[in-house]
Amino acid sequence: MAKREFAPEREYPYDRSGPVRWIVSHVLRYPLFLLGAFLGAVLDNLGYSYSQVLIGEAFDLIRTSGWPLAALTRLALLVFGAAAVQGLGGLLRNYPLEFLAQRIERDARDELYANLLGKSQTFHGRQRIGDIMARATNDVHMLNLLLNPGVMLILDSLLCIIVPLALIARLDARLLLVPALFLALFGITLWDYNRRLNPVSAELRDQFGTLNAGLAEAIGGIEVVKANAQEAWEKAAFTRNARLYRDRFVRQGKIQAQYLPLLAFSLCWAAGFLHALWIWRSGGITLGEVVAFLGLMGALRYPTFISNFSFNQVQLGIASAARILEVLNTETELDENESGVARPIRGEVVFENVTFGYEPGKPVLKNVSFTVRPGETVAIVGQTGAGKTTLTRLINRIFDVDGGRVLVDGVDVRDWSLESLRSQIATIEQDIFLFSRTIRENIAFGCAGATQEAIERAAREAQAHDFILSFHQGYDTEVGERGVTLSGGQRQRIAIARAFLTNPRILILDDSTSAIDSATEDQIQRAMRRISRERTTFLITHRLSQILWADRILVLRRGELVDQGTHEELMARSPDYRRIFARYE
Amino acid sequence: MGFILDGLDTEAYDRAYSDRELVARIVGYFRPHGRAMLLVAVMLALNTLTGAGGPILISKALDLLAQRPSTGSMLLLSTGVLLLGVSGWLFNYIRQYFSARVVGDVVLELRRQVFDRTIDNDLSFFDQNPAGKIVSRVTSDTQDFSEVATLTMNLLSQVLLVLVLSVWLFRIHVGLTLLLLAMAPVAAALALSFRRIARTVTQRARRVTARINAQIQESVSGIMVAKAFRQEHAIYADFDAINRQAYAVGLRRGLTLNTIFPVLGLASGLGVAALAYAGGLAARAGALGPGDWYLFMQAVGFYWYPLVSIASFWSQFQDGLSAAERVFALIDAEPKVVQVAQEPVDHVEGHIEFRHVHLTYTGDEVVLPDFSLEIQPGETVALVGHTGAGKTSIARLVARFYEFQRGELLIDGRDIRRLDLRQYRRHIGYVPQEPFLFSGTVRENIRYARPEATDEEVLQAALRIGGGDWLEDLPNGLDTDVGERGANLSMGQRQLVALARVLLKDPAIFILDEATASIDPFTESQIQAGLELLLRGRTAIIIAHRLWTVRRAHRILVVEQGRIVEEGTHESLLAQGGYYADLYNAYFRHQSLEYVESLGARA
Repeated sequence: MAKREFAPEREYPYDRSGPVRWIVSHVLRYPLFLLGAFLGAVLDNLGYSYSQVLIGEAFDLIRTSGWPLAALTRLALLVFGAAAVQGLGGLLRNYPLEFLAQRIERDARDELYANLLGKSQTFHGRQRIGDIMARATNDVHMLNLLLNPGVMLILDSLLCIIVPLALIARLDARLLLVPALFLALFGITLWDYNRRLNPVSAELRDQFGTLNAGLAEAIGGIEVVKANAQEAWEKAAFTRNARLYRDRFVRQGKIQAQYLPLLAFSLCWAAGFLHALWIWRSGGITLGEVVAFLGLMGALRYPTFISNFSFNQVQLGIASAARILEVLNTETELDENESGVARPIRGEVVFENVTFGYEPGKPVLKNVSFTVRPGETVAIVGQTGAGKTTLTRLINRIFDVDGGRVLVDGVDVRDWSLESLRSQIATIEQDIFLFSRTIRENIAFGCAGATQEAIERAAREAQAHDFILSFHQGYDTEVGERGVTLSGGQRQRIAIARAFLTNPRILILDDSTSAIDSATEDQIQRAMRRISRERTTFLITHRLSQILWADRILVLRRGELVDQGTHEELMARSPDYRRIFARYE
Repeated sequence: MGFILDGLDTEAYDRAYSDRELVARIVGYFRPHGRAMLLVAVMLALNTLTGAGGPILISKALDLLAQRPSTGSMLLLSTGVLLLGVSGWLFNYIRQYFSARVVGDVVLELRRQVFDRTIDNDLSFFDQNPAGKIVSRVTSDTQDFSEVATLTMNLLSQVLLVLVLSVWLFRIHVGLTLLLLAMAPVAAALALSFRRIARTVTQRARRVTARINAQIQESVSGIMVAKAFRQEHAIYADFDAINRQAYAVGLRRGLTLNTIFPVLGLASGLGVAALAYAGGLAARAGALGPGDWYLFMQAVGFYWYPLVSIASFWSQFQDGLSAAERVFALIDAEPKVVQVAQEPVDHVEGHIEFRHVHLTYTGDEVVLPDFSLEIQPGETVALVGHTGAGKTSIARLVARFYEFQRGELLIDGRDIRRLDLRQYRRHIGYVPQEPFLFSGTVRENIRYARPEATDEEVLQAALRIGGGDWLEDLPNGLDTDVGERGANLSMGQRQLVALARVLLKDPAIFILDEATASIDPFTESQIQAGLELLLRGRTAIIIAHRLWTVRRAHRILVVEQGRIVEEGTHESLLAQGGYYADLYNAYFRHQSLEYVESLGARA
């Protein structure tokens, strides 16, 4: 098992070698539920099917002359009993499966979450949060639906074939001929139906997506549409899409209309009727048993309708399981290098001919070299997509370089103990995540033992104290849904306060937000300035003032470091750089 | 049998049409397909007859054959059963195929109509109705509408079957048929009460689930932070509690819903038992043959399904009607912008004059009480003021996006209400605050303003902005795919595309709602180069957020509560020390070089 950074106290071992095995290992954790559900399904179908046999018996009874009333009473009571068994069996089948379904959703989510907590920062730095979220909510829920209704209906359909067939065999084994024929025909026609329907349904779904996307775009861009007087063009485009949808809808409707399994059933129903009469005439069975046979064969109609839906549900569930497993089984561990260098960082950072790309052949950084002395503040400027964020991620080894070296205090980052390196580097991202807890807890998140005094000091340094006190409950104000909504600038300052408390040696600050008003701008600027003192700071910024006070400016363009130096140096030699200040002239 | 649980997701909407009106209008959409509908109806009736005919034939057969059947009569009867089955399948096939065609055509027509009408509305309509809701009316509600049509037809065929069978059964034995029919209220009551329970449980679960999902999302988003600060155990404890809660809620709902069908099955079994007994008694009294007794047994199954579905039909039907109502409301929405004439607009000079314009969107909230302003051709006017002051409304009135209630708006001295809007808008260049790009390439987006422009013209327009430098930063230049809503481009790049679009159009009047978003300084300087170019030689109205722009304007108008409270140049207004000076301190000061330099001085 891969190295983990977290494991819950009690852990159940699941088989992660494949999606189906994984699901099975989850189900087998609760064998009694499974057994109960199976028993319930048997009883349910037995109850229904047996009532058909009883009706056959009653039919024979009322055909004999002078039959006793007691016999009828007995049969009616039996029919009622069979119905009771059917109903109770249904409950016995549904309840355990529902328990199982809900537990699998819970267990899988728990397994996924614990696993995510155990994964390295490297993994999380690389992962898109939306992907993970979809797996933790939608995909685990699909596992729930896989069991109920998916497995439940399959189990039920299966027994709805087996139990009637068994009872038919009890009447007369020869009667099995036509139902068996039907099952074969059913299999073939259903396979053929799906083969023809699936591509058309997929096309229809796609077209619905296209229709919706085009519509959403036309409505979303309505200002542009109107300003350019393109209404007629948009109408034509929409009608074209809607017509394509209509054509596919009709095509799907046609395939659905000619549902051949139903025709197969009609054919076999008549054949079965004839066959049963034949056996009856030869004296093999009574007429009542012919009636019972018809009732039992009628039960086969149910799986004819339900099978498609349930198989789809199971397939969707397996696909979800595969997606979850993909995360569970990902190993993105960089070499932890526990025996590596572990000591307090002074803060010198050197890039030596660094080249890096997310995909082979598409370098995001090309041959980047620079040196930052301890305590310096470095402004990284460049257009969106120039490689600014990527560059900073090489320092705390979210990614490792493809070529060249990154050195911290003269030691290659790959030679540092990962734990020691990361614990001294803090990152404040562009989107700042705060927990739905009090502001105090959010600031002290990294140092649980921080005193109120220390927290307030940090908040003051970060220019957050005043706005925090402006809330009714001050530091005890809840953040998020149940509490206040904080602006981007306020969240940023809380994150800075957090960084004051943990006091990292190297700070990476992604500051691409804008302040609408000058007062907020003042405070953000002051907070940034204070936090960048006494530690090496990388500022990804759009702010000219920060560019001005930075000790060093790195100008990135399309992955290349096109220039670096102080403001004065760059003004003197770089026309690109000069241009960004030109607008003030 | 999921139908019991269908239709629980609808919201209550205000009803504006009577049911009669609605139904009449819905029928109107089907009228052009009269022949196909007739065919569908005939097939439906035939299908019903064969459906009822099957069990009746078998019941007759059981009586007929009871003596000493010949091979011939057995074959004949089986063939009869076969023919009924096969022709039933065939009728059903024809019915379904033709209804799919009718429904497809009706939905197409409805969608086309609703889209055409929607897009002709003015912007006040789109301001009041969120885009997502409009989209769902055009696609989902039209779909629901069509499902009601299908649902109605299916139910009709089932009800018809019950009727045919009932008539037949009444002829056989009145008492037993009444007993059979007495099950109807029981079935309906059961189905309805379950539906009510399911609705309550589902609604409760949905509320809780929404909260729980939000918490799960938070605990997932927080992983990175928790790891950075070594707080895994604390965050896991939070997660565990939420996960268990989610389980409890889901289980309660699941168990309730899973009780429904077994209980319904049990109830129908009870009905069969009662009928078997009563039927037996009737047979004993000689009032019923064995074949007919068999038919009654079969009838329970035929009756039960339609009865249960009728119970849930009514609310589904109502849902379908309200979907239709939402669609019709969209079709019937009257555009507020009305042109009183369609005078041709060959040339626009760019002279704009507001004369005592009064504007309100809702009637009670006045945006512009009495607004007058004259803008000379070629003049650049910057509008500044707090949010909600009416700046955007002023700019958009010039594009004729809104209707005003009183006063006059003159373009080159002509009443804007008398112009051919299509032609007039060819002379307007408009860039909204968040520039909107359509999915496609950069080239297609620039060309959107003038579909007939050549590739060369598009290229020239793009190259003129900042010397075309910005194209080099796009992975494939003009052929770069911008992604959905331009997601592949940065905000600054989207601005540049929008400016190139206007440049290609070369309008007489340029309206810009400046972005507030932070843009990197390099792109920012390219945007400014582009603006510099666009402002030259045309009338420009800018809702300004950038210091550079207000300084560049010929005239700054300070707008407050729909009135111009100050006007002049940047320098003169600043010296005046009034509203503008306050605004400057609040919104523009931090963009000034003095400010940047005072902060930027290295300590």
